[in-house]
Amino acid sequence: MTYLKSRRFIGAAFTAITILSITRTITGNGDLTSTVTIAQALVFASPIALAGLAGIWAERAGVINIGLEGMMILGTFGAGWAGWQWGVWAGVLAGVAFGAIGGLLLAVAAVTFGVDQIIAGTAINLLALGLTKFLAILLFTDAPGGGQAQSPPIKGDIPTFTLESIVEPLTALHEKGIFFVSDLAGLVAGLFYHLSLLTIITFLLFVMTSYLLWKTAFGLRLRSAGENPWAADSLGVKVVQYKYAAVVFSGMLAGLGGAYLSIASTIYRNGNTAGRGFIGLATMIFGDWRPGGTAAGAIMFGYIDTLRLIDTGNQNVKGLILLGAIILFAIGGIMLRKAKRNSAIGFLVLGSVMIGAYFSATSFPPEVAQVAPYITTLLVLATASQNLRPPAADGVPYRKGDHH
Amino acid sequence: MLKGVKLASILAVASLALAACGSSGTTAESAAPTEPAAAAVKVGMAYDQDGKGDGSFNDAAFAGLSKAQADLGVEIKEVNSGASATDATREELLTLLADGGYNPVIAVGFAYSTALAAVATKYPDTTFAIVDSVVDAPNVGSLIFAAEQGSYLTGVIAASASKSGTIGFIGGMEIDLIKAFEAGYIEGAQSVNPDIKIESKYMGAAGDNTAWNVPEKAKTATDGMIANGADVIYAAAGGSGLGMFQSVKAAADGGATVWAIGVDSDQYTVPALAEYKDIIVTSMLKRVDVAVYDVIKAVVDGAPLVGINNFDLSKDGVGYSTSNSAVSAFTAAADAAAEKIKSGEVVVGTTVK
Repeated sequence: MTYLKSRRFIGAAFTAITILSITRTITGNGDLTSTVTIAQALVFASPIALAGLAGIWAERAGVINIGLEGMMILGTFGAGWAGWQWGVWAGVLAGVAFGAIGGLLLAVAAVTFGVDQIIAGTAINLLALGLTKFLAILLFTDAPGGGQAQSPPIKGDIPTFTLESIVEPLTALHEKGIFFVSDLAGLVAGLFYHLSLLTIITFLLFVMTSYLLWKTAFGLRLRSAGENPWAADSLGVKVVQYKYAAVVFSGMLAGLGGAYLSIASTIYRNGNTAGRGFIGLATMIFGDWRPGGTAAGAIMFGYIDTLRLIDTGNQNVKGLILLGAIILFAIGGIMLRKAKRNSAIGFLVLGSVMIGAYFSATSFPPEVAQVAPYITTLLVLATASQNLRPPAADGVPYRKGDHH
Repeated sequence: MLKGVKLASILAVASLALAACGSSGTTAESAAPTEPAAAAVKVGMAYDQDGKGDGSFNDAAFAGLSKAQADLGVEIKEVNSGASATDATREELLTLLADGGYNPVIAVGFAYSTALAAVATKYPDTTFAIVDSVVDAPNVGSLIFAAEQGSYLTGVIAASASKSGTIGFIGGMEIDLIKAFEAGYIEGAQSVNPDIKIESKYMGAAGDNTAWNVPEKAKTATDGMIANGADVIYAAAGGSGLGMFQSVKAAADGGATVWAIGVDSDQYTVPALAEYKDIIVTSMLKRVDVAVYDVIKAVVDGAPLVGINNFDLSKDGVGYSTSNSAVSAFTAAADAAAEKIKSGEVVVGTTVK
């Protein structure tokens, strides 16, 4: 089983690098797989990944968490408020704690009182937005370096690591532009370049989640609360307690994601989350409620965001178009092999349109890159929705003793 | 179940109430004139989004208001529209002020255009003013700024200061208002060095309000520009501009000779940016404070400023700051360019060619 899984993972990674490498070779744009791009993509991906992971925890226990954005906002605020006064690690803790409060609120409303989970989550989003703005005016207006809409700078830095012995030779190798080898070198070097301790923690949280939720009795019980809480209850699982634990932990993760964002910006600023909580939710669906796929979705968003931002002369956007086209062709090919003719034709036509656009236009508006991850998510949802499987009792209010 | 519904409604109501507190954070500040005049002028000021504390545009408006409060003894009231404001909520705020007898009512920001046009017709006896937009009504003063002229001067400074021949521009939302900054900057830079390379990047498309609040993205974009050889970067991106300063500072700490150019207020002197002041060679000044003060003074004097008021170089409505002595090497070139613009010899465009 694990052998099969790791073979699939290596196969997927190999395919991804090959596609990236083909695109890089055709466009001649080294940015696509450069050390700096990958390192920055990890920074942009991490808050989204944490929000997605937070979604996994809540929804695996059967509670839809639309309030992720709100919990993230609470996290950004907590990190700014505590980080400014007592340093960056206090900020991390406060971000997690504030997020946990948001999670607890959702748990009380959705689990104890059986409130419609979408409404409760939306209420938390509104509450967090209003509350943090109000508190920002109250606490930051007269603080030195602060303002009505932003906190003073967070004190101190999260340590970052650069493994020079790996990064330097690999970056040099990347610049040689050898097919596949140089791209692999750039990707690997990017993982060890200015790597934030918080990014490492994020990675460990993903590993921990995979293990806890899928390899332990605790995880089985927690997931049973999301699949069939009535059956779980009949077997003696304390469903309500599991749901509480999951939702509060979900809030903590979202709060950590918010803290990550504030620390990356060095301040709390109103509106800094910019919808990343919702994007996290989308990556969770993209990833089929599993950590691996969610991480991949978050990295996709982070990667495209980075390419768009470090772009010069719109070359990266062009590269992304080609990348998208190649991916569409690859999926189309797979569909053909699986004899899904209609889907295959759809993908191949779309891919051809993008190839045509790539070769006919000299430049693309950067907005194209901005919407690319959303379109990809929509494509995944449209084509893979047959295979995506949310927890069976996701969003269903549970009352002990009810029969179903 | 009934319990649950109750709780949900309480939650919803509470959240709305709190949201309201946060967004329209009305801070009525009583005026402190030495002798309260019987007919003191009451000034209503509506900020967009989160209002004061941006160390930039809104703070400049507040500076003008404070000056009027101190010099003219006017009474003031300030409101914020909040980030999730709609035309309807902005209309409510303006109506609230006009209804409360505030005259003039000053709307800070182009986002108020539609709302102000609607409210101004309902209160023909109140003088309104709008910053950064043109509203055509007999009782509205439209305060617009020749940002392209000021940006032309910063472009001259950037091109003169650049050793690499590559400079950068970070814009907030990609709208005509901000594109005028970019256009002037490019023209000014090219007037010094026709072959100069200019890299521009916007943080969000038109309508994407997050564009002003994402310093971490502005930082990455600036990192990219510096990596590609840019050594002077100019940001007109509201709260996102901080990221540009951070990136330039990091590059300067790493030993590179790089400069940042601020916007709207003199960002060298903004306390919140004290950490970065050494790398802020100058700021493009958009004298919103002058405009706001002039509007209030005109009402106090009984001759309201209505119609289009273009605050350009000749009216000192735009300019550049000289508080950082590092700029002194480039002031001669910038001042010469300013004279050419004032005399009409150079006409700066507002669209990127």
